[in-house]
Amino acid sequence: MSKKFLFICAFAAIIPFAACNDNSTSSSQEAHFEADGWALYNTSWEVAYKVWRGSSDDTLRVNAGCLSEHLNIKFLDSDSSIVNPPEDSDHSLSWTVADTTIFNIYQEEAGWGFHLKGIKEGTTSLILKVLHVDHSDVITPEIPIIVEEKLDPEDCPFQDDDEN
Amino acid sequence: MMKTNLPFFLSLLFIGGFFPSFGDEKNVVDLGEGVIAAEPNEKSQSSILKEDEVLNGEKLNRQFSNTLAETLRNEPGIAIRSMGPAPARPILKGLSGDHISIREDGAPEGDLSATSPDHAVATESLTLQDVSVIEGPNILLYSYSAAGGIIQINRNDIPFNEDSLHGTIKESAESGQPGTASSLSLIIPIRKASVKGEIAARKAGNMHTPSGTLKNTGLENESGAIGVSLPIKDWKIGTSFRSFTSDYGIPGGFIGGHPKGVDISLSKYDATLKALGPFMGTKKDSLELTLRINRYHHYEYESNNSIGAEFAVNEENFRAEIKRPKMFGLFDVSYGTDLDLRSIEMGGYVFTPPTSAYSGAFFGTGSFKPSNKTEITIAARGGGAFFYPESSVVAKATEIHNRKYLLGSFAAELLKRVGNGKFISIEFYRTSRAPTIEELYNQGPHLAAYTYEIGNKNLKAEEGYGSEVHFKGYFENWKIRSGIHLTWFKNYLTPRASGDTNWSQLLPIYKVQGGKAIMTGGEISAERDPERGIYFISTANYVRGWYYDENWGDMPQIPPFRLHSELAFKGAKFRAGGEATWNAEQNHVDKYEESTQASLILGLLFEKTWNMKFSNYRLICRIDNLLNAKAYNHLSRLKSIMPEKGRSFSAQFEINL
Repeated sequence: MSKKFLFICAFAAIIPFAACNDNSTSSSQEAHFEADGWALYNTSWEVAYKVWRGSSDDTLRVNAGCLSEHLNIKFLDSDSSIVNPPEDSDHSLSWTVADTTIFNIYQEEAGWGFHLKGIKEGTTSLILKVLHVDHSDVITPEIPIIVEEKLDPEDCPFQDDDEN
Repeated sequence: MMKTNLPFFLSLLFIGGFFPSFGDEKNVVDLGEGVIAAEPNEKSQSSILKEDEVLNGEKLNRQFSNTLAETLRNEPGIAIRSMGPAPARPILKGLSGDHISIREDGAPEGDLSATSPDHAVATESLTLQDVSVIEGPNILLYSYSAAGGIIQINRNDIPFNEDSLHGTIKESAESGQPGTASSLSLIIPIRKASVKGEIAARKAGNMHTPSGTLKNTGLENESGAIGVSLPIKDWKIGTSFRSFTSDYGIPGGFIGGHPKGVDISLSKYDATLKALGPFMGTKKDSLELTLRINRYHHYEYESNNSIGAEFAVNEENFRAEIKRPKMFGLFDVSYGTDLDLRSIEMGGYVFTPPTSAYSGAFFGTGSFKPSNKTEITIAARGGGAFFYPESSVVAKATEIHNRKYLLGSFAAELLKRVGNGKFISIEFYRTSRAPTIEELYNQGPHLAAYTYEIGNKNLKAEEGYGSEVHFKGYFENWKIRSGIHLTWFKNYLTPRASGDTNWSQLLPIYKVQGGKAIMTGGEISAERDPERGIYFISTANYVRGWYYDENWGDMPQIPPFRLHSELAFKGAKFRAGGEATWNAEQNHVDKYEESTQASLILGLLFEKTWNMKFSNYRLICRIDNLLNAKAYNHLSRLKSIMPEKGRSFSAQFEINL
C-alpha cells in the first residue's frame, strides 16, 4: 500500500513540476518605426533622392574616386509629410550595396547621413534600412546608383576635409 | 437549427453512459479471402478496417527518415509542406495547417508547426512505434476539422500492457544529408509496474541536391523519455515525461525566405498523466483520463546571432473518454470531453500580442447496423473556443478584442459490405474550426513567408460541408483502397492578397479573411503482399482546390498528381526491390504562385533480417533518387533556388531485444 501511495504522490507531483516551469519569452516586443517614404537632402537642403510609397524616378550619382555631398536622411509619413529619424539608440542606419566594387557608403560618424564613395565607373544599386536592434523596420526599394568617370581627387566636385 | 440540436444530441450521448446497454447483434469481421476473423461485438467494421491502415513495424522502419512527414511520404493522400528538410510537415488531401492535427500518445503534440512553414514538427521520427492517419467520423473525437485529418503518433511512453523486458536499438546513416541517428528504448517490468526509458540523437549536415549543396539545412536533434505504469486494483495508472530539442537551419536568399537564412532552436517538454479503468464499475466499459502538459519554446536567430523571433507556448490539455461496447442500441461507442488551455507569448520581430486561448468540447461516436451487411457510424463534436489577447506595443488597441466561438461538427458514415471482403462507404460531414491566434491577431510582417500578414479579429469560424466515398477490397494477397472527397467550404479561412502594400517593409499585405472554396480529389492504392514472392504497391493521389468568391481561381499550395509504385521480391528473411515516384507538373496555381515541373525519382531497397534466440536484427539499405534527378516539391519554398535531395545512400540497423 505504501508503494502505491508513493507512486500516486510521484504521479501527482508531476503536475506542479510541469505547470510551474517558467516558459516565457526572454526578448520583449517593442514598438517599431514606420514610414511610407524616404527623402535624402544634400548640404543645400535640396532633395537628392525621394521615394514615397515605393515610387521614385530619382538616381544618385557620384564620380569614381570621389565622395558625394553629405546626404541627410528624413522620412515621409502617409501624407508625404517630413518625419525626423528615430532618436533612440536602438535604431540606426544600415544599408546593402549590390556591388561594393563600384561604390560604397562612407560615414564620418554613425548617424542619419552618409556619403557615396565612388570606386569605379558603373551602375549598381543601394538599399537603405532603418535597423532596429536586429531587424529592419523600414527599407527603401533599390536606389539606382551611377558611378561616373573617374576624376582626380582635386577635380572632385565635393571635397571632404576629413577624407584623405 | 444545428446550434440547438447539437448540444442536445451530445447530451444524449453523454447521459447515455448511465443507462444499461442493449443490443446483441453478432459482428463478424470480414477481411476477405486473405483474412477472416470473428471478433466480439465491440468494434465497428469501420474501425477495424481503419486499424488495418496503421503504419507500424517493418513497414514503418522501411520508411525511416529524418522527419515525420518524410516517414509518411508514401501514404495515400499525404504530401509534404517544407522550407528545408528539417521543418517538413505532412499535408493531407491538400489541407494543411490547423486542418491537420498531430497527436502524440493520444494528446496534442503542442508545437507551432501548423503556423508557419519554417516551424518544425517537434518529434523524433526514429522512435515512432506506429503512426496512423485518422480519417472519417473518428476525426471528431479529436478535432472539429472533419474535412482534414489527424496524424496519430504512438510512442507508448506510458508502458501499459507491458510485462516483459524488451528493448530496441536503432542506428541509421545517410549520405544525402550526411549524418547519423541513434536511439535506444527499453521497457523493464518491476514487479507489477513497468518502466520505459528512451533516448535518441540525430545529426545531419547540409542537404546535397543535384544542383549543389544547399547551405544551412543541417539539423541536430536530441530527445529522451521516461514513463512508468502501475496497476492499482482495476485501474492502470501511468505517467511519462518527454523532452525534444532541435537546432536546425533554414536557408535564405530566395523569395519566401529569411534574407540570409535563419537558425532555429526549439525545445519541447511534455508531461502526461493517464489513468485507465472501468466505467461505472463494469469492466466492459472503460474510462480513460489523460492530462498532458506541453511546454514549447522556439528561437529564430538571424545571421548576426541576434533573436529575430521568439515563441513560448504553454498548453494544458485534459481529456476524459468513455468507451462502451454497447449503448442505446449503438456499439463501439466513445464519448467524452476535451479541455484545452493554450497561451502563446512572442518576442522579437513578431507582431502578435500575447494571447490565451481556452477551448472545451464534448464528443461522441457510435455505430449501429440496420442490416447484416450495412453499418452506420455517427459522430459529433460540439463546444467552444475563447481567445483573450493582451495589450501589446506591437498591436493596435483597436485590433485587440476577446473572441468567443461556438463550434459544432458532425459526420455520418454508411459502410456496406458489397461482397466477400469488399466494402463501400459513403460519409457526409460538417467541418468547422475556430481561427487560430495568428489568424485573429497577427499585425505584422511574416518574413519567413515574405508577406505582411494582418489578422482579422472579426473572423467567423470556418465552416464547410463535404462527402467522401471509399472502396476497400481484400482479395487473395491483394488489398485495394480508393477514395474520393469533395468539400464545399462556406467560409474557408485563409490569408488573401489585399492589393495593398506595407510601405515600410515594401511587402504585399495579406489579410486573413473567410471565403468560399471547393476542394476535391481522390486517392487509390493497390497492394499485393504475400508471405513470400512478389510484393507490389502503387498509390496515386490527386487534389484540386478553387476559390470562388467572385471569380474562380486556383487555391495555392495544392500538391500535384503523384504516383508512387514499389516492386520487391520477398524471401523468408530478405526483401529486395525498387520504387518509382512520379510527381506531375503543377500548373494549377494561385495568382502569386510559381508552377512546378514534373519529376521522376527512382530508388532501390534491400532488407535482411536475422532471428536469434533472444534478439532479432534487421538491416535496411536504401538508395533514394538513384539517378540524381532534379525533383522540385511544389509545396516547398526552396523550389525557386534548389531541387530536393539528390542521390542518397542510407542504412538503418535495428536490434530488438
